[in-house]
Amino acid sequence: MTETTWSPSGDFKIKDFVVDSGTFQPSLIAPNQFSKVDAQELAEVGVFFDSDERSGTFVVQDHHTLCAQSNVEGVEVLPIAEALKKYDWLAEKYYWKLIDPDTNKITRWCADQKIPQGYFIRVKAGEKVEYPYQAALYTANANIAQAIHNIVIIEDDAELTLITGCATHHEITSGVHMAVSEQFIGKRARLTNTMVHSWGPKLSVRPHSATVVEEDGVFESNYVSLRPAADIRSAPKTWLNGDRASASYYSVILGSKGSQILSGGEVYLNGEDTSAELAHRAICTGGQITQTGILTGSNRCRAHIDCSGMILDPGKKGFIESTPGVRSQHPEAMMSHEASIGKIAPEQVEYLQSRGIEEREAISMIIRGFLNADIEGLGEELDARIDEIAELSGHGEPD
Amino acid sequence: MKNILEIHDLNVSVNGEEILHKINLEVPEGEVHAVFGPNGSGKTSLMMTIMGFSNYKITSGKIIFEGNDITDLGLTERARLGIAVALQRPPTIKGVRLRQVLDYAYSQNPEIEKELQELIKANNLEKFFERDINDGLSGGEIRRAELLQLLATRPKFAMLDEPDSGVDIEALELIGEMAKRLFSIDICHPADRRSGLIITHTGQILDSVYADKAHVMLEGTIEGCGNAQIVLDTICDAGYSQCLTCIKRKAHQS
Repeated sequence: MTETTWSPSGDFKIKDFVVDSGTFQPSLIAPNQFSKVDAQELAEVGVFFDSDERSGTFVVQDHHTLCAQSNVEGVEVLPIAEALKKYDWLAEKYYWKLIDPDTNKITRWCADQKIPQGYFIRVKAGEKVEYPYQAALYTANANIAQAIHNIVIIEDDAELTLITGCATHHEITSGVHMAVSEQFIGKRARLTNTMVHSWGPKLSVRPHSATVVEEDGVFESNYVSLRPAADIRSAPKTWLNGDRASASYYSVILGSKGSQILSGGEVYLNGEDTSAELAHRAICTGGQITQTGILTGSNRCRAHIDCSGMILDPGKKGFIESTPGVRSQHPEAMMSHEASIGKIAPEQVEYLQSRGIEEREAISMIIRGFLNADIEGLGEELDARIDEIAELSGHGEPD
Repeated sequence: MKNILEIHDLNVSVNGEEILHKINLEVPEGEVHAVFGPNGSGKTSLMMTIMGFSNYKITSGKIIFEGNDITDLGLTERARLGIAVALQRPPTIKGVRLRQVLDYAYSQNPEIEKELQELIKANNLEKFFERDINDGLSGGEIRRAELLQLLATRPKFAMLDEPDSGVDIEALELIGEMAKRLFSIDICHPADRRSGLIITHTGQILDSVYADKAHVMLEGTIEGCGNAQIVLDTICDAGYSQCLTCIKRKAHQS
């Protein structure tokens, strides 16, 4: 019999892992000073140390910030601890202002760090950053409990694409990654946040993300989990407070044997004529995937949530559970939801085969299509990850 | 003339139920044959079996293509040998674009892309390229998208399942033009033709593609064959039963 869905509350003891005291901070280094091995691991999650097409690089390795560099004058990047010292207004107006530090033991742990690790990124008003900024949150040693706190401020009329790659060294199988991210998007500003995860098989991952969007601001969030951890519980919150603000979430999850993944999301459509779209895509080759989320409309707005799952090989305990939700508190809130879970239809595979395409390639094409369906404007980085997932799924997961 | 396709004593089942019985068929190289028959007589099943769709289980008999036994070959292998079918009701595949299938075909025969440019432009077919395969297409559009794929794969043996059903006159003209092109090896030498089978109820497609012969299917078997136009006229005038009597009498006399 299939197990029931677990509740999204922490079920590991942080102190069972290497917590470090966070009492010292090594000197920062340049991106080209990282080892070849580390560079390769991070390239997998979209972080390239040798690329000219990045506006800067930030790296936290285990418990320490090693790199905080910006190539663009209008983009200020600092380790969060340094930023808190430099700017009094950061703690007053932004730090722990979207997330309550006492939400749960994860947030409490992050709040109690003596030297908090994570990035402070501020894109100054009017700065439209051409190339993506890249940040790596990297676990290089075994059994690390990594605690992160990130703040992103996109000032009025500014634009940034942020790629956050989270990965473990390929020999590391266990650990904990805890992250708090607070993001502020100003008037007519835009933040595209592409997050790519590639974890060891026994990692527990607990991101807590919150974003507030002002008038005419745009927030796009793409999340790809390529090699799922033991368990991931992600339910980012967004408040569309300004009129005509918009948010779109797109998540791609590959659930493999033994993993438990909760992919949620909450969007509060408070401003007039705001819009939100939340799309979850999951492929189950074993493991348990829960797709959820709720959109709440309290003004004239449009919102749609769509959960789609494809079951390839669930094994004995694997499943996909989809519960998209909408809550309307206004007569002119137009809200809709849909959910579908299915397998790859054999007639679709055979149709492509009848055009001379090999069965395996036909399956990959269909999976790639399923993950891409109706989603436009994906970056190359995300496309590359989707190709990998399609390839992996088409060939089946090794036991 | 050599036969490109031979079917010998073929029995076929779907979900354990026999739907085709003792089918025998020969199509010589360069000939196009029509297949007539009432709904449910097994015409589409015959095409699906020749193509190799897995639902159609051959329980006995043989399919010979270009002299080789292909009875046990899979779909992809048969497609790569040069067999292709334009389905009447192809599946919709969300997220997979028609362009991807065409690109695959072009990668096998790069010169075809150039050859088809004019036809694609003249018939305004580009609009289908970036759409999901068969998603939201009308009957006529589906047939044109199917024919375009066959033109791009350039098969040795093409099968069309009711290309003229449920389409308006304007679309029928375009479909006829595409079908004519499909069966022409060289437009300057109309006598040199690709081989194939065409299922049709109304015979309208035969105004564009000359059929060398017609076969009549009834209740899962081929009951007879004859001149395509005469068979069609008889069916139109007197129905399938009369047509059959006529064919059988002719066979008896010969």
